[in-house]
Amino acid sequence: MADPRSFGPEASIPSADPRGDPFLSTRFSLPARPDTFLRRDRLVAHLDRGLSVPLTLINGSAGAGKTLLAADWAAGLRQPVAWLTADGTDEAPGVFWAYVLEALRTAGIRVSEDVGRPAHPGSVDHALLARLAADLGGRARPAVLVVDEFERVPSAEIAEQLQFVLHHAARGMRLVLVTRTEPLLPLHRYRAAGSIAEIRGAELAFTPGEAATLLDSHGLSLTGDAARALVERTRGWAAGLRLCALAAQQSSDPETYLKEFEAGQSTVADFLLAEVLKRQPAQAQDLLLRVSVVERFRPGLADALTGRTDGEPIISRLHRENAFVEHLGRSWYRLHPLFAEILRTHLRERRPGLERELHRRAARWLSRCGSLPETLAHGAAAGDWEFTARTLVDDLAIGQLLSGLRTEALGRPFARLAPETAGPAASIVLAARELCRRDLRRGLTHLQHAQRQLDADTTDDPGLAPARLSCALLEVLAARLAGSPLRAEQAAKTAGELQGLIPAERLDRHPELTALLLTHLGSALVWAGRFDEARSALSRAVRCSGSPSTTLPRQDALGHLALIDYLNGWPGQAEKKVLTAMGEAQRLGLPPPLRTGIGRLVLAAVAVDRDELDEAQALLEETAPHGGAPDPVEAAGRIVATSRLLLARGQVRDALRTVRTSVPAEVVSPWVEEHAALVASAGHLAEGRPEAAVEVLGHTPARRPARAVAAAHARLAAGAGGEALGILDALTGADRGGPALTVRATLVRAQAADQAGDLTTARRLATQALLDARRERLRRPFLEAGPWLRRVLGTGAGLPPAWDLLAVRPPGPPTPGNRTAVRHQALVVEQLSERERDVLQRLAQMMSTDEIAADLYVSVNTVKTHLKSVFRKLGVNRRSDAVRRARELRLL
Amino acid sequence: MRYEIRIDGHLSETLAGAFPELDHVVTPDQTLLFGQIVDEAHLYGLLARFQSLGLLVVEMRRLPE
Repeated sequence: MADPRSFGPEASIPSADPRGDPFLSTRFSLPARPDTFLRRDRLVAHLDRGLSVPLTLINGSAGAGKTLLAADWAAGLRQPVAWLTADGTDEAPGVFWAYVLEALRTAGIRVSEDVGRPAHPGSVDHALLARLAADLGGRARPAVLVVDEFERVPSAEIAEQLQFVLHHAARGMRLVLVTRTEPLLPLHRYRAAGSIAEIRGAELAFTPGEAATLLDSHGLSLTGDAARALVERTRGWAAGLRLCALAAQQSSDPETYLKEFEAGQSTVADFLLAEVLKRQPAQAQDLLLRVSVVERFRPGLADALTGRTDGEPIISRLHRENAFVEHLGRSWYRLHPLFAEILRTHLRERRPGLERELHRRAARWLSRCGSLPETLAHGAAAGDWEFTARTLVDDLAIGQLLSGLRTEALGRPFARLAPETAGPAASIVLAARELCRRDLRRGLTHLQHAQRQLDADTTDDPGLAPARLSCALLEVLAARLAGSPLRAEQAAKTAGELQGLIPAERLDRHPELTALLLTHLGSALVWAGRFDEARSALSRAVRCSGSPSTTLPRQDALGHLALIDYLNGWPGQAEKKVLTAMGEAQRLGLPPPLRTGIGRLVLAAVAVDRDELDEAQALLEETAPHGGAPDPVEAAGRIVATSRLLLARGQVRDALRTVRTSVPAEVVSPWVEEHAALVASAGHLAEGRPEAAVEVLGHTPARRPARAVAAAHARLAAGAGGEALGILDALTGADRGGPALTVRATLVRAQAADQAGDLTTARRLATQALLDARRERLRRPFLEAGPWLRRVLGTGAGLPPAWDLLAVRPPGPPTPGNRTAVRHQALVVEQLSERERDVLQRLAQMMSTDEIAADLYVSVNTVKTHLKSVFRKLGVNRRSDAVRRARELRLL
Repeated sequence: MRYEIRIDGHLSETLAGAFPELDHVVTPDQTLLFGQIVDEAHLYGLLARFQSLGLLVVEMRRLPE
């Protein structure tokens, strides 16, 4: 019964927390009880009673014996208990909940995989908490979760989330919080409802009887009076009694010692600890003082700190004698937090200045066998910047500084790094920090500084490959920000060569590095209008492993791919990509500032094409740049979407002013230039200057479809219909672009036919354009076309299929609630035949194709044919959508 | 703001060293720490440090300037 893990398998898939660090298994293990531990039945009974209410609070000062009480109780329970020792890093909700889930799994409390895991350290998806609560709520026997040292989680957000899960899991969860300070949960409400059990300081205090028993187990017998006096002196404080027993044991005359202590006036722990410490052999004293600078240690680390090799025997003796040292399992130990704190003040007094050196040694030892964040923290505490930075760079973790998820955790240690002291690795870290803030000038200064120092080393030391690779990555990012495709390509090529020099295993641990390289390169290529090459790089970035660390670059890459789709006239595909990216971001609980900016700009532009102008406006406002200049592609994307919106609203002058905004970049972007010309041309047309509209697009017939369509439109308006058709005829195959462009081209042809007096052709073409536009819900081209379209399509009965639905506007202004409804508003609905209606009605009754066929006495193939034409007419692809759309249109 | 904090018992010189920003005097059964406190964050930080060192705060008050 002692080990709760015997109830289930070890943690399922061994994994890492959202920062990418492996879980510290010691945080899930029940703290070991020393041999002299005194089980106090009154407290255990209170805890047992606590199992009938959702929340139990064990609240007391440092050293009050809270942890051992909870651990002893948990070990004796006839059910698995999830144990979690909180940690300062748990302030980040994503990390905290990842640890909670892991604690449950480690304890063998099966939580459905559907609950998922938080992917971002800084936040957790509310839906995940709801799923967890539902999962826990559904069980017959409640899951017991103990969070020890909860005072180290001061976050109000986490308290609220715990309260949410606890409330919704109802009978399925029992939470025990062990803490020095009152947690931020609404305790008064729990108290009023009688749904909390509290064990506070007064109850934790030892009674004289208990104190006598405890000291007895240390071989010290106390009279009733002596026990009472001792309890009064120590206020029944567990740590005080324990130290007192140790000190007395080690003195020549324990009884007199205790009497003298009782009469004294010193602060208890302070005094006793000094007493116990000074009776230790010199080496043990030295070791205790030195290990006080680390959270936890192994004998090896202790040796590194003392510079001797006697760590192992000293530590095991101290642990055996229950003096200061606690065993965490797997040969990890720690000092009792209270003692560690006091020992640190002794260290500072006795060996001033040594603390820094100890941090330096700890960082070096940990860099060989510990986790990166701990190394960085100690390295920073030692002020040993170059070493700390080199650890980060050599680990190839530079990408994690850039990819958002760990920017905080890894960047924080470097907050105090002064630029002038920087060696190559520190310069790389500084460059990454500046480029992250989009400060190109400063970033480049640091990067060049790093590069020069690396170049000065001509030995071709393979150990420098990670630093060089990090430089190349930053170079690609800098080139992206500077709008310089050539430099981006060059640096990406260098990076590719350097990757070959680094062990594959280390590269595999950092998929974000490759994803970032490809995305930044892709972005620079998009800027240069080299869409095919850009698409190839970006698609590779999207296909990078789906680990949380690659989320941000993959989002960014999807946004850029969507932009290419949009510019090529495929708004539906563009929208789909962005929605995929946004869905993933939401599922992973990425905080909004980290979500794709370019993607939402593309959505805004798509919304303009669909004449959903308010939605476009909202998207543009949401993505308004905060701080730092955006990169060129994002800046240009904003210009495109904004100017399109302004044109659609008839604010021609504002649109022209917008496209004249210059985006600073090393090379000119062809599509950004082209776009400016398109808007200028459209502006001239809108203000009745067709010649100027022709002029601004240039005279050479363009092969690029957007420009060609605009040129044809302008020429037609200028009365040169023949030329217009010539330009369109020159476009072949893939050159024609997607529906957003072909629909516009078809409309130009229809208008040309109309001007030539061929009403039949004009009508056929206009109808064709309507049908092509329907699936993409492209309203804008028709609204821009002008009054001739209405005339061509005609009015009254017996005229082309439901063209006048073009005029149907969404009911009322779009609000967040009815956005989807608005978005799916049918553009044009062709009349359904009677047979198609029959099929649709049966579809709505959830009948299968076979059942419909049987019911209507027709073949299955006939039903399928009817379904296809229903789908086409309603502009949908799925049965469920067809039924929903038919209901919206009141066809059912 | 100046504060005065009373701790139960006699604080050793070593442990008093953990509060370099405060002066201290020892009374018959208490230790009195006093000095300038920068802001509220400092104040709560001090309280947490007292707690983590196992010290019992008996009284805490702001002194007139």
